[in-house]
Parts: sequence; structure tokens; C-alpha cells
Amino acid sequence: MSEHLLSLITFFPLLGMIVLLFIPRDNDGVLKGLTLVFTLITFFISLPLAFNDVFKTSAAMQYKEFVPWISIGDYFQMNYHVGIDGISLWLVMLTTFIMPIAVLSTWQSVTKNVKGFMALLLLLETGMLGAFISLDLFLFYFYWELMLIPMYFLIGIWGGAKRIYSAIKFFIYTAVGSLLMLVAIIFVYYYALQSGMPFEQGFSVLHFYDLNIPAETQTWLFLAFAFSFAIKVPMFPVHTWLPDAHTDAPTAGSVILAAILLKMGTYGYVRFAMPLFPDALQMFLPYLALLAVIGIIYGALVAMVQEDVKRLVAYSSVSHLGFVMLGIFALNIQGMAGGMIQMINHGISTGALFLIVGFIYERRHTRQIADFGGLAKRMPVFATIFLIVTFSSIGLPGTNGFVGELLIMVGAFESELRWFTVFAATGVIFAAVYMLWMFQRVMFGECKNPANQDLQDLTVREIVLMLPLLVFIFWIGIFPNVFFDKMNPSLENLIDQIKGKQQVAVVEQVNLPARNQD
Amino acid sequence: MSGLELFALLPVLVLALGATGLLMVGAWWPDRKALLFCGIAIALVAAVLAGGAAPPVTDIAGMFSAGPYARFFAILWSMLAALTLLLSGRYAEDQDFPAGEFPSLLLFAAAGMILLSSATSLIGMFLGLESFTLTLYILIAIDKKSSQGTEAGLKYLVMGIVATGFLGFGMALIYAATGSFQLPDAFQLLEKSGELRPIGLLGWAMLLSAIGFKISLVPFHLWTPDVYQGAPAPISAVLSTGSKGAVLAVLVTVMVGIPATLLDSLAPLLWALSAGSMVVGTICALRQKNLKRMLAYSSTVHMGLVLGALLAGGEIGWGAVVFYVVVYTVANLGAFGVLSSFSMRGGEPQDYRELYGVGYHHPRRSTALAVFLLSLAGIPPTAGFIGKFGIFHALLKADLFGLALIGILTALVSVYYYLRPIIILFMAKERSVCLHQGNDAELAVIGVCMLAILLLGLYPGPLFDLIAAIIP
Repeated sequence: MSEHLLSLITFFPLLGMIVLLFIPRDNDGVLKGLTLVFTLITFFISLPLAFNDVFKTSAAMQYKEFVPWISIGDYFQMNYHVGIDGISLWLVMLTTFIMPIAVLSTWQSVTKNVKGFMALLLLLETGMLGAFISLDLFLFYFYWELMLIPMYFLIGIWGGAKRIYSAIKFFIYTAVGSLLMLVAIIFVYYYALQSGMPFEQGFSVLHFYDLNIPAETQTWLFLAFAFSFAIKVPMFPVHTWLPDAHTDAPTAGSVILAAILLKMGTYGYVRFAMPLFPDALQMFLPYLALLAVIGIIYGALVAMVQEDVKRLVAYSSVSHLGFVMLGIFALNIQGMAGGMIQMINHGISTGALFLIVGFIYERRHTRQIADFGGLAKRMPVFATIFLIVTFSSIGLPGTNGFVGELLIMVGAFESELRWFTVFAATGVIFAAVYMLWMFQRVMFGECKNPANQDLQDLTVREIVLMLPLLVFIFWIGIFPNVFFDKMNPSLENLIDQIKGKQQVAVVEQVNLPARNQD
Repeated sequence: MSGLELFALLPVLVLALGATGLLMVGAWWPDRKALLFCGIAIALVAAVLAGGAAPPVTDIAGMFSAGPYARFFAILWSMLAALTLLLSGRYAEDQDFPAGEFPSLLLFAAAGMILLSSATSLIGMFLGLESFTLTLYILIAIDKKSSQGTEAGLKYLVMGIVATGFLGFGMALIYAATGSFQLPDAFQLLEKSGELRPIGLLGWAMLLSAIGFKISLVPFHLWTPDVYQGAPAPISAVLSTGSKGAVLAVLVTVMVGIPATLLDSLAPLLWALSAGSMVVGTICALRQKNLKRMLAYSSTVHMGLVLGALLAGGEIGWGAVVFYVVVYTVANLGAFGVLSSFSMRGGEPQDYRELYGVGYHHPRRSTALAVFLLSLAGIPPTAGFIGKFGIFHALLKADLFGLALIGILTALVSVYYYLRPIIILFMAKERSVCLHQGNDAELAVIGVCMLAILLLGLYPGPLFDLIAAIIP
């Protein structure tokens, strides 16, 4: 069983989708219940991954599966090649963890065409899990594109006022990047074949890691990959699809988009763009770090002036993801670990924030900050939960956000990005400003608006779906080592890999002129 | 022509004789259902014979081949005819098509396509091309009550005749320069023809223009949207799939035998045709508000892309072309199939505004249409993705970076115009009136196409292996 565990986790939601297709259309309750059951089972069968201690000692890929998939004559070989290490482990866990919560959040809010919605959610889960565990670049691309379609429909069919515009914008932005990436993938593949990689290995990224691609070639390939992932992260200045997509997506869509889909971009950097093209990375590192810092500050400043709570949270994502990128670009263990844990944190905190926005939107059908005020007295439970999540988003000590941001700062400060860190630090202050200011305007003060007078506090269902998130906010905040222990071997290995190849390149550059003189 | 050669030609003979029989029987017993059923049976028999009855000789009178490559397309086009007939049962009844002529003409068209795909000489090419174009002239205008259909038929006729003129004259010039109609010879001898070479090249250019008309390459594409729009949906399906696929199939035979020096002379022309088709087709498709017209312009883009892969050549390039032809055929047949299953007595919904919210009334067929459009856009897990992947691969391998870049950019833009109808199907607030519920036969055809698209998208290996084995 365990040698096929990853496939089981990936395809179980797909099985759920197929089952759903045979349920008559009008049984909304059954459809929602079944989807919840399928996502919960997926979560439970993924638990053994999290409890496996092998990740504490080994940086190698675990649970590997390798099956030849498509072969086209002697020209192409694509394999179903999957596996996880400490880097993808927590992202897989995050995905299986968030999905039941997202499904539970749809209980009241999704009423039209429930069958389609649930089927797409399950398809999306398969796509996301598949992308995180792919070790074959072609397979990765396949899942990467597969994720697009369900998300596109989730926004476009069940979304808000400008849903069609937002859905198309989301699709086209992502498609632009991914086609460039496809070309780059084909190039790397050729290069690998020419430099003697065994044909049967297909697009195996583990073999691509060993390539020594010339620096000039790396430049172009890296740019294609980096651009594609930057759109997904999203990094400034290609972030503009995000606020629209978030604003118009249904709550479950926003949660998944923020918690998991955005991580595809950062994960892509860590798994593919950076280790495959270390020389190009070195060349572009300052510029990318600059964009990350611009994203941090710009996202925070724009968030500050938003009047729509959901848009505010969306822009705060741009800022948070900037931190993640900065941590990853530090290329040392503190920064990397901080970046990785911040991916998880952002998934939990921002996911929770979107759920909270969903709660008040379902009650009042507005998200304008100006329409609220003084909710704390009417909804004490809601206020407590909202406050905890707000603190986690700001990064208050004791919550998960603090651990991530601190490590990123420390790591980046110790690296060559020291001066960027100084500016990035202002982002933490801005975050406190926009989040607390928003919280104050929504929750405190007098309850002037008569429509807010008789708002109901959270229902049991809503509390139940927030509780797991709150648990993890404190768990990661207080005992982060549980997570770092399983991440570190893989991250150290990754850093060695990147730095080692960069040094080789430097040595070669130094040697070249000497040879010419001979 | 010996008996053995006739036997090798069996699938075509079955189609042609069966079609004649249907025509005769239809004149006395115009029972639409029975005749249609017979037509389907004949097409299936032809497909089985093409796959099962091994040809005793592979060369037929020096004009056609009966090799595995030819047989592959014989199966494909016979299946296309069978599926189209199955699809058009209700359509033909609603629009009151002539009972015998309709299935008979479709079978004739299939026979012509098979002949064209298996041609190994210029004469064979001409015969095949003309025999199916001729039946298409009639089929496009078969709905006598539709003025648009008549207009489309006339347009296709006029354009087609001009193309035929070019084709015939081009072949004559090539013959003048080389003294041969045989396919590899006619081109290989051109290199030794000394001062007659320019004449031969002129012939080539004319031949290419004629082919450009048939597969609607820019600048010869202008008839396409009008004809697609005016023709009955099942006929548009044949027009956009078989009539183009067969030409591409014979183009592969041509390109396999072409000498490198001649290819060098023609490369700029092919490059321009390919790039122009992709760019202009994309720009025009963006503005369309009619599904059939959009598919027409998009077919120009697809043809441009395939032409690029033909230019790239090599086993990879030709393999990619044939695979793409199969995938494109299935996706287009499916898309037009959904359209004809939506059609009501006296009209079919083509305008986007007639499709608003149809996805809520008819979720299964709308999903199928979405899958076909996504396949045409080249998005996984559909087969269109693998097809595009193969072509980009071939282009990059042959160092045609310019074409690859244009191909990728146009593929990108194409996402917009393929997504638009999908949005309209599912995302509009307005609920249009219900369209036709569709019958089992139509649903079966759509189901087969959808299954093929997903299967070829997830597991394309066997088809690629097969194609690699049969390329001449």
C-alpha cells in the first residue's frame, strides 16, 4: 500500500468526482456531504506522510513511484514519476488539510449548480496534489495546467459581480507564463538528452539537477520559468490578476487560491527554477529580491487604502508572498525555512481571513468596511476568532506569522540581501497598520448601521471549520520545530546543491582566461 | 488495372458502389432511416475492410498506394463518414434532406478523401481532391430552403473551381518541367530539369495556392467562415475535418519525397503561409460572435500550425502532423456534433447570444462542447495539448524558432476566443430557451469523440507508435 500512497492521495479526490457525476443533480445535501467525506478521507490517508520520521534524517525523495507513461518513438519519454521530500511534504499536507475546510465553507453560500461546484473542487484537489508531488517536469506541467480549468470555472460561474472579467484575466495571466515554461521545459529536456541522460528517465527533474547548463542558456530558461512562477506567486508587477480573482471568487475559491494555488509559484521557484539554473539565479537574485521587496511594501500600502475587506486581504497576500520570496532568495537555512513555513502560515492565516470575510458577506451581502462597525458586541465569538487570525496575519509573537517573518528577516539579513531586509521590515509595520485599522473599523466603535443590529454570531459549523486553523496558528507559533525538523534536511540539501553549482561555475570562469593564455 | 489492384482498392470500391446503390434504391424507396442505416453499415464495412483485408499489392496503377499509411486514413475517413451519418439522422429528417442522396453523397465524399490521402501521383491527387470537393458542393447546399446554404454552396463552388484551375495548371507545368506525374519523381527530377526548373517552381507555387484554398490558408481563407456558417452543421463537420485532413495527409506524402534543394526554394513560401495563417486567423477569430465562424477562423490557425510542422519535417514533424490531424478531426467533429444536436427544425444555434446559459439546460452536451474547445485550445488533459506539444517539439527540433514563437503566441491568444463560448454556455445570467434535447445517436457520437479526446490526451503513446510505423 505505502508504495502507492501518493497516487492514492492524488487520485482519491478524482474518484470522488467520478462518483459525484452519478448522483442526481438536485440532492444538494448528499453532494456536499459526499464531497466532504472524500476530502476528509484524503486528509486522513495523507496523515502517515506527516508522521513519517524519515524526513528528519533524509533529504531524498520518499514514496517514489515510477511508471512509464507516454513514449513517442525514440524522441520523448514521459513518466509518471512522483515522490515527496521535506519541501513538498508540508504543501501536500496543507492541501489535504485546507480542502475539507473549503468544502465546509460552501454549506450555505453555494446554492446553484452544487454538483458542478463540488466536482470541480475535487478535480482541483487532484490537480494541486499532483503538481506538488510531480518529479517529472512534463507531469508537473500537465497538472499545472489541469489546475487552471477548475479554478477558472469556480471563479467564472460562482463568482461575484465582475466574475467573467476576473476569470479570463486569471486564466490568461497564468496561461502566458505556462506556455513560456513549456518551451523552456522542452529545451532543458533536449539539453539533458544531449548530455547523456538516459532516455528512460524522461523529464525527471532529479536528473535535470545534475546538468551543467551553460550560463547564457540558463539565463533564458530561468527567465521563462521565473516569469511563469512569478505570475502565480504573484510578484510585483505581474500581480494584477490576483485582487480581481480573489474579489470575484466564491469564498471556497478564494481560500484555495490563497492557501494553495499561490504556493505553486513559490514551490516552483524552490523545486525547479532555482536548483535547475543556479548561475542565472545568482545573476538575477538582486533584481528578484528587489521585486519581492517592492511587492511587500506596495502590497501593504495598497491594502491600507482598500475599502473592500476582501480586496484588502488580497493585497495583503501580495505583501506576504513578497516575504516568502525574500526568505527563499536568502539562500541560507534560516531564510529558506522561514520562507517555507511562511507559505504554510499564509495558507492558514489568509485562508482563515477569507473564510471570515465569507462569514460576514453571507450575513450582510456586502464587504465594504464602511458598512460595518461595532460588530464585536453583537458577535463576540466571531470577534475573538477574527482577532486571533488578525494577529497571526500581522505576525504577533506566539502565532505562526511571527516565526515565519522572524526567520525570513534573520536569514535575509545574514545573506547578501541585507539592505533589502531593512526595507522589507517596514512591511511588518504596514501590515500591523492595515490589519488593525481594518479590524478596528469593522469590529469596534458603535454599531451605527441598523442592518448590523441583529447579526447572528457564528454557527457551530462555522466555529468547527475555524477551529483546526486556530489550532495550527498556535501550534506553528509555539512549537515550530515539529515542522522544521522534517523540512531542514531537504532544505540544506537544496542550498548545498544551488551554492555548490554556483561555485563550480565561478571556478570555471576563473579558469577560462588562464586556459586562453596558454 | 489488374484484379489484384482492384482488390487493393476494396475499401474505396465498397464506399463508391455502396453510395451508388443507395442512390438507386433511394430513388424508388425513399425510406430515410433505412437508407441512413445502410450508409452507416457501408462505411463501417469499408473501415473494417481497410483494417482487416490485407492488400495484395501496395501500388495501384502508379496512382494510389494501398500501404499502411493509406489504410490508416481509409479507416479514419470511413469512420468519419459513419459518425457523421449517425450524427445527422435527426438533422436530415428535420430539415427534410433528400433521403437517398444525402448518405450517398457523404459516402462518395469519404471515398474521395481516401483516394486523396492515398495518392502517390499528381493525377491521383487531382482525382481524389476533385471527387470529394464535387460532392461537397452539393452537400453544402443540400438544404434547399436555406438561402445561406445556397450562398455557401455557390461560394465554395466558385472558389473551388478557381482552385481546381490552379491545381490543374500547376500540375501541367510540373509535368512539363519533369515529364513525370509520379510523386517522388515529379519533384526529384525537377532538380535535374535545368532551365525548365523555374517553370516547375511556378507549377509548385500554383499547386500550393490550390492547396491553400482547400485547407484555407491565409490569404486563400476568405471563403471559410461563410461556407461553414451556411452549410448544415454535420456538413461543416466534414468540411472542417476530412476535407482538410485528407489534403494534409497527401501533403505528408509529398513532403516525404521532396528533395532538400527544392524544399529550400519553397521554405520561405511555406513559412510565410504558415505564419500568415496563424496570425491573421487568430486576429479574425478574436472578433467572432458566431461559433461556426469562430471555428472557421480557428481552423485557419490550426492549418497554419500544421503547415509549420510539415515544413519542419522529419519523422517527428510528420508524426506530429498526422497525430494533430486525428486529434483535430475528433475535436471538430465533436464540436459540430454538439451544434447539430442542439439544432431545431429550421435552424441551428450559432450565434453566441443563442447559447447564453445553455449549460444549465443541457449540462452534458455543454460540458462536451467545452472539452472539445479546450482541446482545440490545447489545454491538458485533452488530446489537443499532446498534439500541440508534438508540433512545438517538431518546430523547435527543426530550429524553426520564429514559427514556434508565433505558434505559441497565437496558441496563447486562442485561449481567449475558445474560452468565450464556454463562458457564454455556463456563466451568463440570462437563460436562453431550451434547445433540442438531442437523441441517442447524437449523444453516442459526442460521447465517442469525448472519450477519444480524453483517452488520447492521457495515453497518446500507442497512436504515436502506430503513426511512426506507417509514415511512408
